[in-house]
Amino acid sequence: MSASNGTATSISRSERRTLLRFLGLYAFLAFLILVLGSTIYYKLQKDLMLQTKRLELEEYSKELIDGLKLLHIYFDRYRTYPRNPLYRSAIYDADKVRIFSTLKDPKGVRLEKVIYTTDHVIQYVHVLDSYYLGAKYVVVEIDDDGRWFVRTWKNIFLYGGALLALFLAAGLVLVRLFLAPMRNAIRLLDRFIKDTTHELNTPVNAILSNIEMIDPRKLDARTAKKIKRIEIGARTISNIYQDLTYLVLNHQIASQDTSVDLSRLVAERVEYFRILAESKRIGIEIDIQPGVERRIDENKAARLVDNLLSNAIKYNRRGGTIFVRLRPGELLVEDSGIGMESGAAKEAFKRYKRFDESAGGFGIGLNIVAMIAKEYGLRIDIESEKGKGTKVWVRW
Amino acid sequence: MGKVVMNWLLVIGYWLLGSRNGVRRFAAFCIVFVLAGVVLADGGVAVYERNCVACHRKLPVTLDKFFFNYLLKYSSERQVKGALFKFLKHPTKKKALASEELITQYGLMPKTTLNDTDLRSAIDVYWQKYKVFGKIK
Repeated sequence: MSASNGTATSISRSERRTLLRFLGLYAFLAFLILVLGSTIYYKLQKDLMLQTKRLELEEYSKELIDGLKLLHIYFDRYRTYPRNPLYRSAIYDADKVRIFSTLKDPKGVRLEKVIYTTDHVIQYVHVLDSYYLGAKYVVVEIDDDGRWFVRTWKNIFLYGGALLALFLAAGLVLVRLFLAPMRNAIRLLDRFIKDTTHELNTPVNAILSNIEMIDPRKLDARTAKKIKRIEIGARTISNIYQDLTYLVLNHQIASQDTSVDLSRLVAERVEYFRILAESKRIGIEIDIQPGVERRIDENKAARLVDNLLSNAIKYNRRGGTIFVRLRPGELLVEDSGIGMESGAAKEAFKRYKRFDESAGGFGIGLNIVAMIAKEYGLRIDIESEKGKGTKVWVRW
Repeated sequence: MGKVVMNWLLVIGYWLLGSRNGVRRFAAFCIVFVLAGVVLADGGVAVYERNCVACHRKLPVTLDKFFFNYLLKYSSERQVKGALFKFLKHPTKKKALASEELITQYGLMPKTTLNDTDLRSAIDVYWQKYKVFGKIK
């Protein structure tokens, strides 16, 4: 069994997924930093522009105040407000009531500010010490050509984009650097598991074939019992071996689909497991309709049946029963075991999921069943009741 | 309001008041209210003319110059009127906006004898007469 998701391909897939998730997070954070930087840059550029314009506007306001002063003194003779084509202006009294205005939009004036830009105009507010014509606030306005705005955004996009690309490239290098030790460890473990699995085959086969060669009739009762225990153990190891081989090696190989006599296969597998079931005093009843066939890879079909039977034994109580029924389009494996909580059935197909830690196994059996079912479009239904048992249907 | 218009309104009001028609009587009451308002407003003008203009006419500095001094120092209508009211109620050299020479020569303005309502209406007339709102071109 692999400690990764089973195969080299899934290692690279999960690695790619990790890489993408990390890069996503990294890009998001980098983007946030850039947005923050851009906001600060934008504000600085705006302030810089306003500071530059402020000098010009202060001059205009001085000129306007001189005009207001003259108008204040000679108001009995002249009533014409001082105007200049270079700027527009307005005067407000101490209660912020507008006295006179030549502004584009006198309603949008913010007298609490000094200089600001709004609606394509820059407005400068000067607070007077002597209120000529009752004016406390003098507002001078010029047009904002928006060149600074275009230039600032151009710089933000240009440098921001370049920085983002740089961040992402650095992130890619970093993530590869960080993931390298983990990737090496996983590959090493994977290699080790593959080699171990491969090496397990010969001794298990040797044990099983030698046991089969022993004639139980020539043995005394005690030795025959011991040999039987060895056979049970060897068959359990063999079944685990088959699962491991399937996970690590087999399902990478293209399926060899043939028309399989499922009636024969199921009967064979039941017989194979009968000796394991007997060790727990579990009886297996069968109701197999002859001649049920389906186009499938025989090895995979055997894995599917084996895992259902193996689970039925593993999670059964001592002295319980297993019922196996085969009909065209349906295989049922029913046990009288510990059962599962409602809602746990869907979870059962997840890898390494085990509902009873006291039972042996790795929790990969039903996952293999699910993988094979998915490949061949088989539907699996589970009905389970805690303490009563589990029914598993495979339908096609 | 012109005297001719007022006289006509009085005649119409008298005629309407004699009518038995409810709508006409109501119109008559409206006219009476308008005329009362006009008389009160004119009362403010009269107070201003009698109590302010009459005295200031003798001074070399015109009333509008004082107004612009108040405007220069207090800016808004609320503040100008408030400052004028306070000064006229309790005139002091510190509060006065007239020059030292003027005060030395003509003395500090005497405390007003007007009641608050008359004083406020006189100040209102003063503000209306010299305010800059709507006069700037």
